[in-house]
Amino acid sequence: MSDLARILVAPLAWLAAFSAVYGLSGLLCAGVGPSGTVLGWPARRVVLAAAFLAVVLMQGALLRLLYSARYGAPPGFTRTVSRVGGWVGLVASLWTLFPTLTTSACG
Amino acid sequence: MSPLARHRRLSRIWSSRPGWRGLLSTVNHTDVGRMFLVTAFFYFAVGGILAMLIRAQLATPHSAFAGPEIYSQLFTMHGTIMMFLFAIPAIEGLAIYLLPKMLGTRDLAYPRLGTYGYWCYFFGGGMLLVSLLLGIAPDGGWFLYPPLSGRIHSPGINVDVWLLGITFVEISAICAAVEFVVSILKYRAPGMSLAHMPVFAWYMLVTSLMILTGFPPLILGSILLELERAFGLPFFQVELGGDALLWQHLFWLFGHPEVYIIFLPAAGVISTILPVMAGTTLLGYRFVVAAAVALAILSFGLWVHHMFTTGIPHMGLAFFSAASTLVAVPTAVQVFAWIGTLWKGRPRLRLPMLHILGFFATFVIGGLTGVMVAIVPFDWQVHDTAFVTAHLHYVLFGGFVFPLLAALYYWLPLASGRRRYFRLGEVAFALIFGGFHLTFLAMHVVGLMGQRRRISTYAPEDGWTAINLVSSVGGFVLAFGLAMVLLEVVLQVRARRRAPRNPWSAGTLEWAMAMPPPAYNFASLPQVASREPLWDDATLPARLARGEGYLGAPVHGWRETLTVDVASGAPEHHVVLPGNSHLPLLLAAVTGLFFLALLLKLYWLAPLAVAGVAGLGWWWVWSRGWRQDLGPQQVGRGLSLPNVAEADRGPGWWGSAFLLVADATLFGALLFGYAFLWTVAPGWPPPAFIAPSALALGVAPVGAVLALVGTLAAVRANGAGRSPEGGLLLALAGLAGLALGLGTMVAEAPPATGHAYGATLLVMGAYGLFHVAVAVLVLAFLVARHRAGYLSPRRRAELAIAPLWAGYAGAATLLILLAAYGPGVAS
Repeated sequence: MSDLARILVAPLAWLAAFSAVYGLSGLLCAGVGPSGTVLGWPARRVVLAAAFLAVVLMQGALLRLLYSARYGAPPGFTRTVSRVGGWVGLVASLWTLFPTLTTSACG
Repeated sequence: MSPLARHRRLSRIWSSRPGWRGLLSTVNHTDVGRMFLVTAFFYFAVGGILAMLIRAQLATPHSAFAGPEIYSQLFTMHGTIMMFLFAIPAIEGLAIYLLPKMLGTRDLAYPRLGTYGYWCYFFGGGMLLVSLLLGIAPDGGWFLYPPLSGRIHSPGINVDVWLLGITFVEISAICAAVEFVVSILKYRAPGMSLAHMPVFAWYMLVTSLMILTGFPPLILGSILLELERAFGLPFFQVELGGDALLWQHLFWLFGHPEVYIIFLPAAGVISTILPVMAGTTLLGYRFVVAAAVALAILSFGLWVHHMFTTGIPHMGLAFFSAASTLVAVPTAVQVFAWIGTLWKGRPRLRLPMLHILGFFATFVIGGLTGVMVAIVPFDWQVHDTAFVTAHLHYVLFGGFVFPLLAALYYWLPLASGRRRYFRLGEVAFALIFGGFHLTFLAMHVVGLMGQRRRISTYAPEDGWTAINLVSSVGGFVLAFGLAMVLLEVVLQVRARRRAPRNPWSAGTLEWAMAMPPPAYNFASLPQVASREPLWDDATLPARLARGEGYLGAPVHGWRETLTVDVASGAPEHHVVLPGNSHLPLLLAAVTGLFFLALLLKLYWLAPLAVAGVAGLGWWWVWSRGWRQDLGPQQVGRGLSLPNVAEADRGPGWWGSAFLLVADATLFGALLFGYAFLWTVAPGWPPPAFIAPSALALGVAPVGAVLALVGTLAAVRANGAGRSPEGGLLLALAGLAGLALGLGTMVAEAPPATGHAYGATLLVMGAYGLFHVAVAVLVLAFLVARHRAGYLSPRRRAELAIAPLWAGYAGAATLLILLAAYGPGVAS
């Protein structure tokens, strides 16, 4: 089962993070959480950008683990597939959550 | 033992009873797979006839062929039948039939469960079909949006038929998914590591996990909408704190993954057949597997792209637009792998290959129009027009029906043992391909000209007349082609021209057996060292028939097979599977009685049906197991293995674990719905949140700990040779605490019909109490099994499921109480 976990972990982490950031944007738009500005930036935007950064860092850390000798798979099928999965998680996080930086939050 | 004597002995053990009565009691995967496929193609024909009626209606303006009421039933039932009664069951049937043969084993992990699933599909589909004949079929579109589908706007029984019938049918999908996951992970030929699995098995593993996590949101939505319609719990009524958009979220949380649940097995078929047709191996096997995994998971992040016109904030739109474009990448990886495979091989243009080429042309167009509608401004223009209808048919017909027809022609010699008689298939393909593109290319155009979906008629001055007529003519050409396929299949099955062994020179294990396959599949199980064992060793079929593999010497009349280690494929345990039984049919009939009682408002009958299901379930499990330790069993090739009853984690544990994955997804969807109403629904907050209860919050955590610790202690005590009953009784006391906590919360909740808040608390409480009841049943069963002598320090597999169910009940209860009392604490 650990081989399956290595293959699935990064894409599943993307799915969880994607859902969480979408939920966070919904909560912020519903008036839950901070309002006003932080260093001249809208507080909602800052919170969402911080979440985006946290997700990207998490995916980067997962990818590093999948490449490590200790947690990565031994050479062969699982290593290739799990590393591809790691890249999928990272690229998907960058691509799908990039709008936190560029579009209006609640418009 | 001679091969013939072995064949006769194994056939006696594994065959169903002769005649049609045998179909009522068979649990053999070959029989059940065929039953699924025949029934699914019957519904394909019914759905196709409905499509022809739709096209007849739209062929001319101001058509009086069908009135709007009947027309609404026609298009609703066309979509419903094609999605739920054809596509998914056809996948299930194909996989039930093929997987054990490809994996080099004799049957699936839970033969009776798969058969129960078939009968649920049979009875549930029958409910929908009868409603069609009686003129009370569902009529609110295949996605049944409220408020149209609410009690006010749809007061008849039509919507209830959909909600209850489809939920009944979905039981079969969940059963099949659990069965596939456990079979693929544990029931393979010795030596078949993850890297050596046939690619179709990888696709089915991914698809099955998607079914376990994709179907529960729709099951939840159906339960909530039926509760609203039957008892007035207002989940989707805005004026009482509900929100119609909640249904759309729950539906599309299922509905978009559903597209990939249908496509991925078809892609598995392509990845299996195409290399054989090209006479080579699949290019980039590892990347194809990674792409399938990526596609499956990314598809769960797309559901809102069906809701771009519902007023979602820009950022939400951008998230789902980006995810919708991203999903094209792993799809393209697979397409390029297939093109590369053709490039490196020497393709033969045989009939299955024609359908694969038809798939390429059609699916790529469907994929490209998919990227178009993923772009929000374009989607706003074409939403709910015939353009979207055309797009989805390109994806589903191109991505599913063409591969299914390729599969039909590819594996029919295996299933029938016959070769093609008349050469109708090539003509049929031309008619299907031409008819399809005529129908749906025209529909793209008329959609861009503004024709909306689901309209029963239009005026000549709309300018759509000629295009609709072309589309209808194309539809009838397509139907004629499909009828020719049916004719050819019947001729092939009835004809007496025997097909040669392995006619395509394929390398996978399903071709290593007699044609048509015997009930036991393999006279002895192979040792596998690559993905194409037949290409490694052309003498393998003969050696297996001579009993040179595992389990080649049948003893005791048992239906024997093996389980293996998940990753390496090393043999682990000896398994004895159940024989023919009427129990699956009986259990499905009683399950159907429950749904029928709800449909006909005979509510007094529903608890009796539930008690019947529980009683039959008890009998079902009780009839298995051993009253003495079996010890190591000789499995051939000098190897002896313990029986699976003597494993730490037996089939029951694996099945329970994956069933709980589906269960937890349903629970997660319920919590999502609660959070959605809280943050988005206009009628929130409710007049008052309930205040925290010291009794509930005091007793439930203690109960959760006792339930888990008690069951773990029981497992430990049994392993040490002591009685597990003390631990099980401690866990039962813990479950009583959980029930008290949940009961207190439900008693304190506001009336369920007054506001969606009260309704949600009631459903959450009922969910928790139901799981406590299930856990009580499991623990009581284990106490009875211990007293009857079915448990011992060696025979420990049954006991291992107790912590799963008791622990889940405890965790769910704590989360429910947190969700129920949290807002009261915060406010």
